Amino acid sequence: MLLGIANFSDLCIFICGMISYVLLGTQGHKLLLRPTLFVLSAHLWLKNCRELMPSSYNASRFDQPVEASVWLKNFRITNERFLKQMKTQQKYIWSKREFTDEGHPLIEVIDQGLTRVKNASDSVGIVLKELKAQCQSGTFKLVVGVDGVNALWGQTTLRKEDKSPVCVFYVSCTIQKLRLLKTGPSNNGAVVATVTQTGSLFTPKAAYLPHELLGKDGFDFLDPFLPIQVTGYSEREFESCYQYYKDRHWIQHEKAHTEDGKKELIFLSNRNPAVLERICSFL
Amino acid sequence: MSASIGRFLRPWCPGILQARWSKYNPYYLEPVVSKEYFNTPETELTDEQKAERQLKTTHPIKAAPSNLTSSVFSDPLVSKFINMMMKDGNKVLARSIMTQTLENIKRKQVEKYHKAPPSEKDGIECNPYTIFHQALENCKPVIGLTSIQRGGKNYQVPTPLTDSRRRFLAMKWLITECRENKHRRTHMYEKLSQELLSALVNEGNVIKRKHDLHKMAEANRAFAHYRW
Repeated sequence: MLLGIANFSDLCIFICGMISYVLLGTQGHKLLLRPTLFVLSAHLWLKNCRELMPSSYNASRFDQPVEASVWLKNFRITNERFLKQMKTQQKYIWSKREFTDEGHPLIEVIDQGLTRVKNASDSVGIVLKELKAQCQSGTFKLVVGVDGVNALWGQTTLRKEDKSPVCVFYVSCTIQKLRLLKTGPSNNGAVVATVTQTGSLFTPKAAYLPHELLGKDGFDFLDPFLPIQVTGYSEREFESCYQYYKDRHWIQHEKAHTEDGKKELIFLSNRNPAVLERICSFL
Repeated sequence: MSASIGRFLRPWCPGILQARWSKYNPYYLEPVVSKEYFNTPETELTDEQKAERQLKTTHPIKAAPSNLTSSVFSDPLVSKFINMMMKDGNKVLARSIMTQTLENIKRKQVEKYHKAPPSEKDGIECNPYTIFHQALENCKPVIGLTSIQRGGKNYQVPTPLTDSRRRFLAMKWLITECRENKHRRTHMYEKLSQELLSALVNEGNVIKRKHDLHKMAEANRAFAHYRW
């Protein structure tokens, strides 16, 4: 389904559906060969945050050191070989004595974010900015995957210390991601995003279309895009998923190997891949 | 006809009041959930089964409890364990802990399986349910101790245990061990999976507790004749 995506430039693609799992699964497989793919989960950043600190870079914004450091760690592991080749284009001063010079590999920025947790969000912002700039100059192809893009324009449960609610646009991670998602005319990359109701806050359960979930602002921002609807597994897809689990010895229950067990799995999961995964995890 | 049945369907009090008792009149029959029971045609039933079906046409049936399913994946032992782990009626939490435990066990075993050389692959058990059953079997004590009073003193006398009592003791020890002897930051499912995997190979604190009970029973075997 997503075979030709990496060849598109100047196109912002949407997957409109109830399941982000399917997207990320196929995404990971098909685009392994392309340099720099990274995936963000916008929902996780904008709710249930324990530590919300005022940003060191811009005092009016808020930082999330925990989520930023977790993301940096994962990003580093998945994209290490590309990060060693990419160089910074600007000098970044972290504090009085620490700075990263121009021309140093990007890995140093990430390491700085991981060691000094206070600067983690800033280093995330720097990484995104650098990647976008270098992608535009044509050295690398960039594919950005965002899970739950509608979180960036929705409401949040984040609160300041005096329990007053925080607007989404005051969180530094949203600003960073919005800048990244803005496509210019000569872009050498693609954005694949999902809109989900499952993680989003204050949206009705029946809403699944991009217009309902993104709101007017989000929709205008991401115009033009290609909506692709992702439905549950077809019979062939379910069969292949089931055979894959069996082959990897993941489905261990004796009864699950029978016809009755398989029918029951179809019934319980309603062919929803996420639910099927959760059921098969303990079978 | 209706008057005689009505006599059985009225609120009924037994002769002796029990501590934990079913409020149903003994006239009521248990519900049946298995698909095989209903899918067998008339011709294949034995005389006993036919008489049973005849009985069901006249007797009322108890309401089915909410944890009774016709699912092929339902396991009575696992359900019992979940009920014992449950606190304040929070079945959702207890069940989720159990499913996470099973997943954790399966994950560890499958990882071991894939890393092992082909000669050892057959020996590694990956099915979390068989592991759970076997581990519980290994934790069951063979003999128990009861306190009997003779001549003013209380003696610990070794006695045989019923199957249900043994199963209860094994589950109880497993749950109390995992609740108390763990680090503050480890999750229940993590600790439970570790205990189950070590009980599978007859190691760990629960097995130790079972062996301690056996040793006490062996030490007190002189008092065995105090049993009635």
